Amino acid sequence: MAKTYAKPGILEQLRADYFSNKLDAAMTLVFGTLVIWVVWNLLGWGIIHAVWTQENREMCGHGGDGACWAVIDARWRLILFGLYPFEEQWRSAIACIAIITVGILSCVPAFWHGKKLAALWITGFAIYYVLMRGGVFGLSEVSVQDWGGLSLTIFVFAAVTLLGMPTAIIFALLRRSDLPWISRTMGLIIDSIRSLPLLSIMFTFAVVLPFVLPSWLPTEKLYLVVIGYALFFACYQAEIIRGGMQALSAGQEEAAKALGMSYWQRISYIVLPQAFRNALPPTINQLVITFKETSLVVIIGFFEVLASGNAAYGNSDWNFAHIEVYSFVGLIYFIFVFSLSRYGAYLERRLAVATR
Amino acid sequence: MTDSQTAVRIANMDKFYATFHALKSIDLEVAKGERIVICGPSGSGKSTLIRCINKLEDYQAGSINVLGTELDDNLDNIDEIRRETGMVFQHFNLFPHMTILENCTLAPMLVRKQPRVEAEAVAMEYLTKVRIPEQADKYPGQLSGGQQQRVAIARALCMKPEIMLFDEPTSALDPEMISEVLDVMVSLADEGMTMICVTHEMGFARQVADRVVFMADGEIVEQGAPEPFFNNPQQERTKAFLGQILGH
Ligand SMILES: Nc1ncnc2c1ncn2[C@@H]1O[C@H](COP(=O)(O)OP(=O)(O)O)[C@@H](O)[C@H]1O
Ligand SMILES: [Mg+2]
Repeated sequence: MAKTYAKPGILEQLRADYFSNKLDAAMTLVFGTLVIWVVWNLLGWGIIHAVWTQENREMCGHGGDGACWAVIDARWRLILFGLYPFEEQWRSAIACIAIITVGILSCVPAFWHGKKLAALWITGFAIYYVLMRGGVFGLSEVSVQDWGGLSLTIFVFAAVTLLGMPTAIIFALLRRSDLPWISRTMGLIIDSIRSLPLLSIMFTFAVVLPFVLPSWLPTEKLYLVVIGYALFFACYQAEIIRGGMQALSAGQEEAAKALGMSYWQRISYIVLPQAFRNALPPTINQLVITFKETSLVVIIGFFEVLASGNAAYGNSDWNFAHIEVYSFVGLIYFIFVFSLSRYGAYLERRLAVATR
Repeated sequence: MTDSQTAVRIANMDKFYATFHALKSIDLEVAKGERIVICGPSGSGKSTLIRCINKLEDYQAGSINVLGTELDDNLDNIDEIRRETGMVFQHFNLFPHMTILENCTLAPMLVRKQPRVEAEAVAMEYLTKVRIPEQADKYPGQLSGGQQQRVAIARALCMKPEIMLFDEPTSALDPEMISEVLDVMVSLADEGMTMICVTHEMGFARQVADRVVFMADGEIVEQGAPEPFFNNPQQERTKAFLGQILGH
């Protein structure tokens, strides 16, 4: 029997959700007060009593109870661009925007074709490299050693993911090869690399490898460290993809075989799309971790955004303002990681529609 | 029987799972246009036998020839045979991440290199034939078991195979959905398709089979036209099996 209920008013709804019995009411009051208190203090510190510009910097730190955002006003270019030459930092900014744009575009389903994605990323990295490195089109040359800040963080993350993801797929396929010696060897490699700390892999690739590589190979530390990191990423991601594959019933591949599809057709049209869908939450997780651990490149002397932040308050002028600097860097991380997580949630909803 | 009339010829074939002897010197010849029903107790090797015909399973001795192509380790031969044989599984095995239409057009486009428009036209033709053209844009998970199995049949037919293999196509279905699938299979038989069906639907066997093959313990125990097979089985194991399945 169809019965219509009057939609409850906001007040009634609140009461039902938060004050339905004595315990609920007490919890609501306690936690509500706590939240309001914290938010109020944060607002007071971060906005109401804050000092915003360098001109007023004398007011910072003298018993005032507000944040000293003046440090960001003074040092934001160091945080975003590291040691990149000051007059050329517009190049670093555009290069960074190019990579971010390419990253956002490749999240759009309309670009999900092998060729489009390849064209997109080749263009993105070409723009990045030409702008950052210079030496052509009248741009002055900047050594890779001077790349830094947010631009470097984004570059390392994008390059690691882009090299690492295809490698991970190949590792996962080798890992489940029918030939035992191939799958065992691959398993051994994956397990070995995973059991090493990322720091030691980066160090080995950047510092030790140049001594053993033939001299005609590129020995730029940054590229070597990206390759090492990509390998590390690939080993973790390969196991994630393999997990996604194991959730497929054997019948899926058999049906594809029975239709006459070749190995690569089965992999690319039947196995991988479903494996990635099954493995979406851990994959997003892995990307988030990878983004945050880009900060480790500091050990080979690169100033990515976090290390640049350290440098930003690391002189006698600003050394009281580390909380403000870390808040600012934290906000940058938050924007990236939170967007990534929301995108993951969007993908899950979108893919769930296709299975309902 | 001349070679050009033979669809499948299995000679002296043995199949092992590691040390387990799953199929024991199987001899079976199927003519073009012939409808074979294979029955037998669970674990007797029926699935294994028809999965050997399109090399979903390897065999270790003897030979299998499908439409004049020797089924050996030559990958081209395997591809050729898989293109010409359609298979329908007990659990449908539709691709859950693709729509019904995409399920039907994928292999013709990839394997037969059909243009999309043509593949879609063919797919709609077969979906109409299995009586669910209106479901073309849905996903498999949105369909009932009987509908999914009919899509699976249409998907196989879109490759225009010469031979259709069915492995218990109705045993995962709710009883009220069995007949809609069997109806499709009967009409396929009426059109002269070569069919090898593993099934326990004895009504279907009586109606369309040219020959019923009974298997037990990895062997073909007895075979014959439906009438003599059901009414006058020769072997004890056949009698026991028929007694159980027909309930007398
Ligand atoms: N992949 C496999 N590995 C080992 N033994 C198997 C495998 N598949 C089937 N068998 C065995 O082979 C025998 C025949 O199986 P199957 O062909 O599935 O029988 P049926 O389809 O007649 O029920 C059974 O005893 C089964 O346990
Ligand atoms: Mg079976």
